[in-house]
Amino acid sequence: MTPLLRTLALLASLSLSTHTIAQGTADKESVPGSPSASENSVETGDSEEVQAPTYPATPQPSDAPAPGDWAAWGRGSSASRHSPLDQITRDNVDQLEVAWTYRTGDLPEGSDQESKYSPENTPLKIGDSLYLCSAMNIMISLDARTGEEQWRYDPQVAKEAIPYGATCRGVAYYEVPGAPGDQLCATRVIEGTLDARLIAVDAETGELCPDFGDSGMVDLWQGIGEKVPGWYSVTAPPVIVQDVLVTGAQVKDGQAEDAPSGVIRGFDAVTGELVWAWDMGKPELNGLPPEGETYTRGTPNMWTTAASDEELGYVYLPMGNSAVDYWGGNRSEEENEFSTSLVALDVNTGEPVWHFQTVHYDVWDYDLGSQPTLVDFPLDNGSTVPALILPTKQGDIYVLNRETGESLFPVEEVEAPGGGVEPENLSPTQPSSGYHSLAFPDLTEKDMWGMTPIDQLWCRIQFRRASYKGKYTPPTADRRFIQYPGYNGGNDWGSAAVDAERGILIANYNDIPNHNRLLPREEAEERNLRPIYAGGENEEEQPPAEGAGDPQIGAPYAIDVNAGWRAPITGMPCTAPPYGGIRAIDLASGETLWDEPLGTARKNGPFGIPSHLPFKIGTPNNGGPVLTAGGLIFIAAATDDLIRAINIGTGEVLWKDVLPAGGQANPITYEVDGRQYVLISAGGHHFMETPIGDYVIAYALPEGEG
Amino acid sequence: MISATQPRGATGWALLIFALILAFLGLVLAAGGLWLVALGGSWYYLIAGLGLILSGVLMAKDSLTGVWLYLAVFAGTVIWAVWEVGLSPWELLPRVFGYIVLGVIVLLLLPTLKRRQATT
Repeated sequence: MTPLLRTLALLASLSLSTHTIAQGTADKESVPGSPSASENSVETGDSEEVQAPTYPATPQPSDAPAPGDWAAWGRGSSASRHSPLDQITRDNVDQLEVAWTYRTGDLPEGSDQESKYSPENTPLKIGDSLYLCSAMNIMISLDARTGEEQWRYDPQVAKEAIPYGATCRGVAYYEVPGAPGDQLCATRVIEGTLDARLIAVDAETGELCPDFGDSGMVDLWQGIGEKVPGWYSVTAPPVIVQDVLVTGAQVKDGQAEDAPSGVIRGFDAVTGELVWAWDMGKPELNGLPPEGETYTRGTPNMWTTAASDEELGYVYLPMGNSAVDYWGGNRSEEENEFSTSLVALDVNTGEPVWHFQTVHYDVWDYDLGSQPTLVDFPLDNGSTVPALILPTKQGDIYVLNRETGESLFPVEEVEAPGGGVEPENLSPTQPSSGYHSLAFPDLTEKDMWGMTPIDQLWCRIQFRRASYKGKYTPPTADRRFIQYPGYNGGNDWGSAAVDAERGILIANYNDIPNHNRLLPREEAEERNLRPIYAGGENEEEQPPAEGAGDPQIGAPYAIDVNAGWRAPITGMPCTAPPYGGIRAIDLASGETLWDEPLGTARKNGPFGIPSHLPFKIGTPNNGGPVLTAGGLIFIAAATDDLIRAINIGTGEVLWKDVLPAGGQANPITYEVDGRQYVLISAGGHHFMETPIGDYVIAYALPEGEG
Repeated sequence: MISATQPRGATGWALLIFALILAFLGLVLAAGGLWLVALGGSWYYLIAGLGLILSGVLMAKDSLTGVWLYLAVFAGTVIWAVWEVGLSPWELLPRVFGYIVLGVIVLLLLPTLKRRQATT
């Protein structure tokens, strides 16, 4: 940004924030449950009234990242995952080599799968430094040139706090407006942890920020209720909009209806004080709940990363489903209203401005996993409209006006199948995007697969025995039901990327069904399915891992999920490949430009034995793409442990390298001292069954090239 | 029944064991195939299974007809597979690959079978 532009932006935001302060104060005064009236302010030793931050809202690096930077999880607040760097091109990408490798040292004890490690980390790069977090939330800064460690802060998160997986997708970076550069924590790195803390450290030294919360920390368990480690965890980076830091949390799926709340909270990015809370069950409650009460239990939560519009002051929350995913009979009106919706929240008030629901009465765990991408969407008449792209697990991609939430393309309400255990509650229709869908036609018997005719026959029999009425087949208890696409997508947390100059949207996706059954309560008890709070006397008595069955206490049924629908004994999927792909979509029209399977068969095979086959099969994948002005897509994600560069024009793989562990993370690209790097954390993934690692690997062209 | 009149060499035993395995695989396919038909699914597995049972039994009895029958099941399978999924290599894999492996063994055992049939 030029100095002139920066001044203009500053002026614009000054006037904006003056307006918002007045509004924010008025709101707070009328709310009896605001933090000023609670013990929170006593605890932090601050007797001042808590209100929206009064700092002049300066544009943050995340709002206008320098060309060589990666300033937020999706590169900037708009989450384009597109970099203007072009030193690495389609012609020279085959010369990429490892510039340096760094190891965090955060490795699990015991076997990869039992460890539940799935770091999924994407570092930030601002100036000359990289900022990342390890699986167990160790915050680390590296020299972006060499990978040399500059500092680390270990918050000592206990193993018991690991929810579904030990994940830290990233950190946020924040510059305190007007603070002198040499002041401690003038620039700071903030993360949310598995044990539900917000932690702010100085970006230069890694020292805790004494002015933030309680000596650098905010306890997110406040107002949530009984503290059960692993039930309420932050795995995604917070977003900062107009100096308000916004976070949700992951509530471990399927435990009980009486689960931690899905409340979304906004904190002052400087002081860590609660500015507002959005509890859909208690819309009038804007601060902490009164003593002895909690935020509404079991409501839909946001475990993934939000996007934001600094100018509008809106944060876009991809909400998940209620705590009990596969049965909805006890859900409140608000839950049905907001579950699996994108909610635009005004950060000055914490009130929803608009919301858009992507599945009605979600009984399939179709949480919104993808971070939306903000674009100035091109119209036929040559003008643009401020919009956002919202991919979903069902595969539908929506384009919404980001001021109003209205879809720019027709959204059809398509008749949905009925039946199952609660036919009276199901939505008779489900939305379908007129823009684009990543989904494939419904399964048929001949889509069943295997290694031999015998396991294929087995899968064909299972197909015929299951309840399957196409997309949105209602859950059943008397027999298994097929859920297709499965809960891994479609598009998941890796999200999509947009190259606005070329007018191309890139989305990778999974194409895998799940084979599920509701378990009547007696059967769940026979199987000893117990919720996370029940615990066990020793290790062996711990509740089983997700997928083996979730108890859904409070509902008449537990749930048994066969994720990826794999046959017993061989472990092979019951459906034919490809299991995942990557697609280029014309941004303006939504038409497919090309579509290729993503991932080779080299690490997969029957009985879990790697086949070493170099053929492109299209594997399950987790992790998103990065686009560059050089015309390249960098993506790992697939279970073949490769990182590759793809020609954005054709889908052709131009370069690949073998990673030492699974690449289930979004890569980044950045520049320092005139050299462009491509970086990925190879941390592996317990659920995707790739090797666990602690590697951060930077690639660049040989020195003197490019 | 199986001719026990002449001594079995190593290859003779191999032929018998293979023929019985073939019949057993046929039995699995036919039983599962019958279930699939009952569920309203494809008839292919039942038919192919019955073909393999018969082929295995005939080969066990040193009958060359068993070999011809195997080749007929194989040819029918290829036609069915291409009809069902076209030329998609990944989808042809479970449908055809196993038959190719078994077919190679059939051809390897063919000289033994011919010799034993000639001396019956």
